[in-house]
Amino acid sequence: MATVTLNNVIKRFGVFEVVHGANIDVKHGEFVVFVGPSGCGKSTLLRMIAGLEDISGGEIAIGGKVVNDVEPADRGIAMVFQSYALYPHMSVEQNLSFGLRMTGNPKADTDRRVERAAEILRISELMDRRPKKLSGGQRQRVAIGRAIVREPQVFLFDEPLSNLDAELRVQMRVEISRLHKELGATMIYVTHDQTEAMTLADRIVVMRAGHIEQIGRPLDLYDNPDNQFVAGFVGSPKMNFINGRIVGRDARGVVVELAGQEKTRITQPLTGAAPETGNKVIVGVRPEHFGNAGEGDADLVVAIDVVEHLGGTSFLYARTANGDDVVIQRDAAKVPDTSEITVSIRKSYLFDEKGLRLR
Amino acid sequence: MRNRNATAYRFLTPYLLIFAIFWVWPIISSFMISFQATRTVPWRFAPGFNWGRLIGDPAFFNALKNTLLILVIQVPVMISLALVMAVLLNSPLLKARGLYRFAFFAPVVVGEVAYSAVFRLMFNLDFGIINKLLNSVGLPKIDWFSNVTPAMALIMIAVTWRWAGYNAIILLAGMQSIPEDVYEAATLDRVSKFKQFFYITLPLLKPVIVFCLVLSIIGTMQLFTEPFLITERGGPGGGTETLGLLLYRQGFRSLNFGYASAVAYTMAGLAIAITLAQLWLTREPK
Ligand SMILES: Nc1ncnc2c1ncn2[C@@H]1O[C@H](COP(=O)(O)OP(=O)(O)OP(=O)(O)O)[C@@H](O)[C@H]1O
Ligand SMILES: [Mg+2]
Repeated sequence: MATVTLNNVIKRFGVFEVVHGANIDVKHGEFVVFVGPSGCGKSTLLRMIAGLEDISGGEIAIGGKVVNDVEPADRGIAMVFQSYALYPHMSVEQNLSFGLRMTGNPKADTDRRVERAAEILRISELMDRRPKKLSGGQRQRVAIGRAIVREPQVFLFDEPLSNLDAELRVQMRVEISRLHKELGATMIYVTHDQTEAMTLADRIVVMRAGHIEQIGRPLDLYDNPDNQFVAGFVGSPKMNFINGRIVGRDARGVVVELAGQEKTRITQPLTGAAPETGNKVIVGVRPEHFGNAGEGDADLVVAIDVVEHLGGTSFLYARTANGDDVVIQRDAAKVPDTSEITVSIRKSYLFDEKGLRLR
Repeated sequence: MRNRNATAYRFLTPYLLIFAIFWVWPIISSFMISFQATRTVPWRFAPGFNWGRLIGDPAFFNALKNTLLILVIQVPVMISLALVMAVLLNSPLLKARGLYRFAFFAPVVVGEVAYSAVFRLMFNLDFGIINKLLNSVGLPKIDWFSNVTPAMALIMIAVTWRWAGYNAIILLAGMQSIPEDVYEAATLDRVSKFKQFFYITLPLLKPVIVFCLVLSIIGTMQLFTEPFLITERGGPGGGTETLGLLLYRQGFRSLNFGYASAVAYTMAGLAIAITLAQLWLTREPK
């Protein structure tokens, strides 16, 4: 069973700690995506699993076996690098077979594995070419093929699509998804692109500055973020954050008044300990959760700066009376040509001043 | 457009003049001189005089043999050594890399006369450190300067000492341009460091190695300083005389410029031929 377990894993470069105790449980056959802004430690974590970086603290287990001191090649993993890391002087066929040839794998078996990988990735007709003569997408396939040939228990991907253009990225995303179904192997995938994370993952690990902020299924993160960072990171365009204040409480929950708009009050049912009246809070509203006036809990008047038409939907870039920027998603047909618009808030999230979710 | 070119050429004139007088003209003139009999004044045109002599001259064949022998032994040894040095310099385990890099490069900037003098002292028969070291490990002394084989070896050692570090620095630059993740991929593929060197580093370094080889071949074809200064004008008895030395002896000691020019053209022709052959042998397969 190819589970991957990270138990309080720490990474230090010199005295500089970049991963502060990561706990992750990847199940057999699961597709887990590490996502987070640049420099948050995703690659470092992945490279520790691969064995390319030492583990400064904690334990990593693959298939139930602690691998802290196991050589990279003996961990049952294969890695696809962001830069592809193909051997430039070898043909595609040689790239795929190099590892097996060097370790004395029987030729018949090597040929079988290479052929199968080429078939799965549809690169059979490229076998004699050098990487230099391949397109970005083809190189990426070869890099993935080289991983498949190893027949690993766990695939590790480090931003494999970030060097491709937008269209190819979508196409390869679908292929990787298909690959995951076909091979049934455990996959860990690093990206800073939340769309990739949302579309590929069984579960997402959201990281920030060496901490794991939340682990969950894509829709759980979307519907139920633990904090303001996750709320802002998952979903596109980003969730809007509007300053507010607790002004009281009624039968349905706490009442929040939006800064600068005394008349806009939102009532939020909270099951946890309710914050004190007068506390500042942050109200999070996704662009798609603004409705027409009167449709929701509270109405809000905003001034429109820019309108982006994408065809079916449009995005209104606007400001509240208090100067908070908000993005509002609308059906293209329902975009008014006034400079002010009243919208309702159909659904919102409350965060305390530290960014923790109030619920 | 024409006007602009004219202005550009006017700015280039001083350089072009110097280039024409001190480069182009000597090249043409020496070619013409090589067809003249220059032993007697006035010189007269005699196409077969120098070139004919070349074909049958034992001194020329001796110098050619010595030069090629040094080329065939010293260049591969030096490049191999430079590769080893580059690998060591590239090792992440190495401390004070900058210092070593400087130390390896230093021989090139040391004055030729100074370095030759030091080599003569080090290899001195009775009180040189090399013979003392040989003695201390139970080997007999070697008379480096009066026997042909040790004298040739000495030349090769000296040239290697002087240029190995230089080539190592060039090779190191090449090695550092190979992306790290290629090696990481190989490590994950269970390819040992040793095999990584032979199957990844060497092939990817090939253009740089070829570059070093070409530089060294051209340099060795013109070899002059070491046999002139260390083994004292190609001694013992012409045993280390190179083409460069023969040229010098003919041109500037015997003032036989015609023959010296023919030797010079032979040297250049050989260097070009060997380099082309070498480029052809190491060309990228289609
Ligand atoms: N070899 C190293 N030595 C010192 N610090 C390092 C080293 N490698 C990474 N770091 C630091 O560790 C932190 C995490 O780096 P990492 O490469 O894991 O980020 P990342 O999340 O993959 O970012 P990106 O999305 O840009 O690839 C960064 O602050 C980086 O500067
Ligand atoms: Mg990274």
